[in-house]
Amino acid sequence: MSFLVVIEQRKGVIRNASVEVWRNVQHLAAISGQRDVAGVIAGDVDRDHIRQRCFGKGTIYTLRQKGLHDYSPQAYTESILHIVDRIGAESVFLANTAMGRDLAPRLAMRMDASLASDCIVGHDESGLLKAETRMYAGTVSVVIQGLRNRTVYSMAPGICRPEGPAENAVAVVDEDGISVSESNPVLQKIVYHTGRKDIAESDIVVAGGRGIGSSENFALLESLAAALDGAVGASRSAVDEGWRPHSDQIGQTGKSIAPRLYIACGISGAPQHLAGISGAETVVAINRDGEAPIFKVADYGIVGDIAEVLPDLEQAVLDLQREK
Amino acid sequence: MNIAVCINQVPDTASRVEVRDGAIEGGYLNMVLNPYDEYAVEEALRVRERQENTVVTVFSAGEKGRYDVLRKALAMGADHACLVEGGSSNDSRSVAASLSKAIRSCYEGLADLVFCGRESADCNRAQVPVMLAEMLGMAVLTAVSKLSMENGAFRAWREIEGGMEEYLLFKPSVISVEKGLNIPRKTNIKAVMKARKQSIVHLDGSVDNQQGVQYLDLFPVSRERKCRFAQTAEELARLLHEEGRMVGQ
Repeated sequence: MSFLVVIEQRKGVIRNASVEVWRNVQHLAAISGQRDVAGVIAGDVDRDHIRQRCFGKGTIYTLRQKGLHDYSPQAYTESILHIVDRIGAESVFLANTAMGRDLAPRLAMRMDASLASDCIVGHDESGLLKAETRMYAGTVSVVIQGLRNRTVYSMAPGICRPEGPAENAVAVVDEDGISVSESNPVLQKIVYHTGRKDIAESDIVVAGGRGIGSSENFALLESLAAALDGAVGASRSAVDEGWRPHSDQIGQTGKSIAPRLYIACGISGAPQHLAGISGAETVVAINRDGEAPIFKVADYGIVGDIAEVLPDLEQAVLDLQREK
Repeated sequence: MNIAVCINQVPDTASRVEVRDGAIEGGYLNMVLNPYDEYAVEEALRVRERQENTVVTVFSAGEKGRYDVLRKALAMGADHACLVEGGSSNDSRSVAASLSKAIRSCYEGLADLVFCGRESADCNRAQVPVMLAEMLGMAVLTAVSKLSMENGAFRAWREIEGGMEEYLLFKPSVISVEKGLNIPRKTNIKAVMKARKQSIVHLDGSVDNQQGVQYLDLFPVSRERKCRFAQTAEELARLLHEEGRMVGQ
């Protein structure tokens, strides 16, 4: 009986979303009885980096074979299944990222396992795991339980953040000798956007909606985000207007994000947008319309014009940073 | 070439979903074609325009209420529409099994291509396309936002956090499509009238022992927080600073 966490790396760096899943699973294992935790990382990742990012107990298997450094659907599925079998994993956990969404159902089908997507995982009195997931733009919650012998969980970002374990007793084991067959689809290349912070990995996100008024006005958000070392996102309206690319879109038809601080500028707060920020810790709303629904789900708000508030806020942030 | 497109219906975004006694009150919801599936239908039609002798068939698993979305796909230009009956509709694995059975019974061998939307806009689980592909024994690529044909294969792009992945994909395969892939065509009245007269094929989608998960509980979620209003930007910055919400804190 054991838990396996699939840890995602990009360019040799373990993603924040995966560290969060690892912590959650360490926590689950500790409170739900005597279960072993193992991890698996495909790709060439420095051992010290793994030990710095993943605290707690258990063994992390690294798959350093050629062809596994970047995500390749079939190769990842086959090699991770090898580890699933080796440790007899009953539950497999992934972060619900672009990779996790593609990989989780592949693993679930090959394992003949149940699949819970974009979920928070808890357990009942007997230690049996159950998953909570949202539907209808996050307005309805459903608790589900797997009906098959094993379950794959792809976990929602940010919603549950236990403190990570203090001890670092993780063993890192290189697992070689797994052969990977021909694959379809075949990855050709990955093009990373340069000079842009990724909204899914940022602690602070400043996002704009229709109320920003134009593509040019996003410069105000860029500037504030730079002062805060944050990323810039957008609502669906702003993307539909062509002011920002779809990759910046936050919400039901875009990305779900879980920053520590989310600043919504000129965003009215439609349920479809809110579905993408339910994992945000602190929500700040800046809007000209004091009746905008976004204020109902915000912790802090300012009623005012973006063009006046944002430069003032940026200045105030810089002043506070200087005080330190 | 045979192209299957799997479509679903979802409540339109203006619908307010109510929960009563641990279940969705579905009776008065206005159901529409899942937006991601519109991109799937459109892409299938575009492939047909470039490839002679291509037939586009849409499949939807569920009750007769789905005639409307099947007819919408016909009005967009699909050749045939099939209603897949007898399965469960709120468990992805069962839905995939029903669709897989229907697609197998419809074609001798396999379809060359299966298009699906990236996910359904009601549950956002993005499970059915991969499950279906695994059941059909076909390759699959998910959330494709750009696609081009090259000597019978496809070059496909997929958005990831902070970048794009580029793949080569060979048939037969399942492709789930993301917003941005195309702009779905509008239907005109003539096409809608014609679609209304087309017959819809009923296929058996009953399956055993395919249920993946069960619902233990279902309840509405309140997202309300108590908002503290600041009068000035300085005050807001100070409040966030005191709460330890700023950079490096």
